Amino acid sequence: MSAAIALEAVHKHYETGHADVHALRGIDLVIERGEWVSIMGPSGSGKTTLLEILGCLSQPSSGRVRLGDVALEGANSDALAAIRGREIGFVFQAFNLLPRLTLEENVALPLLYQRVPRAERRERAIEALRRVQLDHRAEHRPAEASGGERQRAAIARALVNRPSLILADEPTGNLDTVRGQEILGLMEEIHQAGATLVIVTHDPGIGAQAPRCLKIQDGELVADDRRPR
Amino acid sequence: MTSLEAIRQAARLLIAHPMRSMLTLFGLVWGTAAVIFLQSWGAGLQIMLQDAFDRAGKNMIQIFPGGVSEEFSPAFDRRFLFYTQEDVDNVRARAKEVERIAGEARRFMASAYGQTALNTDVRGVEPDGIAIRGVHIASGRPIRRTDVDHRRRVVVVGHDARRNLLGLQGGIGSWVRLDGNPFQVIGILERVGTQLSRDGEEIDDQLWVPLSTHLALWPNELVDEEVLSALLVRVHDRKRIAEAKLEVRAIIAERLRVSPTDEEAIPMFSPVEMLENIPIDEQNGVAVLIAVTILAIGGIGILSMMLDSVRERRAEIGMRLAVGARRRDITRQFFLETFGIVGLGGLIGVAIGSGGVLLLAAESLRSGIPEDQRDLLPVPQLSLEAIVLAAGVMIVVGLLAGLIPAWRAARIDPAETLRAD
Ligand SMILES: Nc1ncnc2c1ncn2[C@@H]1O[C@H](COP(=O)(O)OP(=O)(O)OP(=O)(O)O)[C@@H](O)[C@H]1O
Ligand SMILES: [Mg+2]
Repeated sequence: MSAAIALEAVHKHYETGHADVHALRGIDLVIERGEWVSIMGPSGSGKTTLLEILGCLSQPSSGRVRLGDVALEGANSDALAAIRGREIGFVFQAFNLLPRLTLEENVALPLLYQRVPRAERRERAIEALRRVQLDHRAEHRPAEASGGERQRAAIARALVNRPSLILADEPTGNLDTVRGQEILGLMEEIHQAGATLVIVTHDPGIGAQAPRCLKIQDGELVADDRRPR
Repeated sequence: MTSLEAIRQAARLLIAHPMRSMLTLFGLVWGTAAVIFLQSWGAGLQIMLQDAFDRAGKNMIQIFPGGVSEEFSPAFDRRFLFYTQEDVDNVRARAKEVERIAGEARRFMASAYGQTALNTDVRGVEPDGIAIRGVHIASGRPIRRTDVDHRRRVVVVGHDARRNLLGLQGGIGSWVRLDGNPFQVIGILERVGTQLSRDGEEIDDQLWVPLSTHLALWPNELVDEEVLSALLVRVHDRKRIAEAKLEVRAIIAERLRVSPTDEEAIPMFSPVEMLENIPIDEQNGVAVLIAVTILAIGGIGILSMMLDSVRERRAEIGMRLAVGARRRDITRQFFLETFGIVGLGGLIGVAIGSGGVLLLAAESLRSGIPEDQRDLLPVPQLSLEAIVLAAGVMIVVGLLAGLIPAWRAARIDPAETLRAD
């Protein structure tokens, strides 16, 4: 069985008007199916960039990426969209809930593009909200929810399509420790259910709970610690 | 993204900025309504003109006496050309394009009833001529063949002539004097209405007597023969007026011994051709073009509205792409939204335009207008053509206005937008 993720000599450049930012400088990385990996590093080190590449949201400037059996180089945008929609659940650093939709509609959004019928979309969205204990807030809009509730709704949205790979960017960054631990408990539950989990975090306490912890600095992997649990 | 959701989104978009939506929709609504209205008005105008020309006689050619053109004869050959019953008989026997032909005699003269005296247009007619005019009798009876055969002194009175000459007392059986000669009223004509092509008075103001009576009482002073003032011809086929003219002219030219191509010797007029010479379609085309321009301006309003919308909703679009929307899903969404707005404006416009047309065409409204004015007031004709034209223009506007925003929306880079707060 192939690895969940395999990166080979991945570089990412951002071309801006005045400067060329070299955000990732040759990343080699293999993540097995069902692993729980945390990524830590200082601000601006390239964590989000790396996660975006894993999540097929952006493509590396050079190097090779495989998700499962699929090589992503040269895949067209429809194929990438299909992978994003079916295989990946993304929890963004800034929740990115759509303000005009209710929490339930937000959570159901990924199913819309999988041609899931309306009734089933609703059912599955409610089920995902229940997993994060938010089903009673289904009809609320994001503006009516607390920071922690929004974060949980964002997680529910990442779960709703039953992805095999969950990518979370600072899922606890906006929360106090208690709420953070709750979220983490949720993540662990998802991981137990068989999904591969990659979490970016600043918080060493949270990073330490993962069986495998990557450290990134200036676009390079500087540590890859595994600890038996 | 289902169509229903796109339409709901379009509604949200409209509600979010009511002022902008109003202005944008205004162009669309007004443009569509104008396209429908002008197209319908043009169709109504066409019918009104046709009716007004046809009131003189359907598919009719009138032939008047002329003089030999200088092109065809030396100046000294300025014969007095006139028509007689022989021309009528010749054409009736030989012309294939001609359905009917009749002679007509006409003269203005004093008519009197009781204390009333008028100068009236008195026509000598025969049954075929009445058929060509297509005028029906309102009461009494028309002039018949026997009236002509026996030179009876009977008169049929036009709708308005009855009011002006006979007043309230007179009617069928009354006696009137024409140029001093007593005539008995045997019939009243139905109202014909305003004619756009006429010679002398309107039919409604005319008095009709048997042709033979007219010729006998008021002969031509210059020649000994019975001179017809005009010939009326009805052709079989409206589209073959030109051919009919050639054919008839050739037959008459033979007896008159003039060139069959001399149009001055045998002058002919046809209301059908006069109607065809009015550039209705061209004028209407210009008006519709203006309406289409208004629509286009509405389209530009929508374009800018949709571009704003794409700009405002970059995060949303990025999010949709991130959770599995394909670029074409986004394109579709924005197209549907644009079409939702265009369709809404279009529907309101069609409703207003059609409503205006139906209102102006409504009998209850028109009955308040005096008959004579109503004759020349077009009844706008709501045609499928007008609605199809408006819908077609809307689709083009929707496509053009949706194209650029949809393309921009689909090009958004999800990674970039999702980072923004
Ligand atoms: N679209 C972009 N254009 C130009 N530079 C970019 C762009 N996105 C990221 N960068 C740069 O790339 C580098 C890595 O950014 P990235 O967001 O991956 O860092 P990060 O590790 O996630 O930081 P943080 O912990 O603050 O979220 C940074 O220097 C950032 O300024
Ligand atoms: Mg980051």
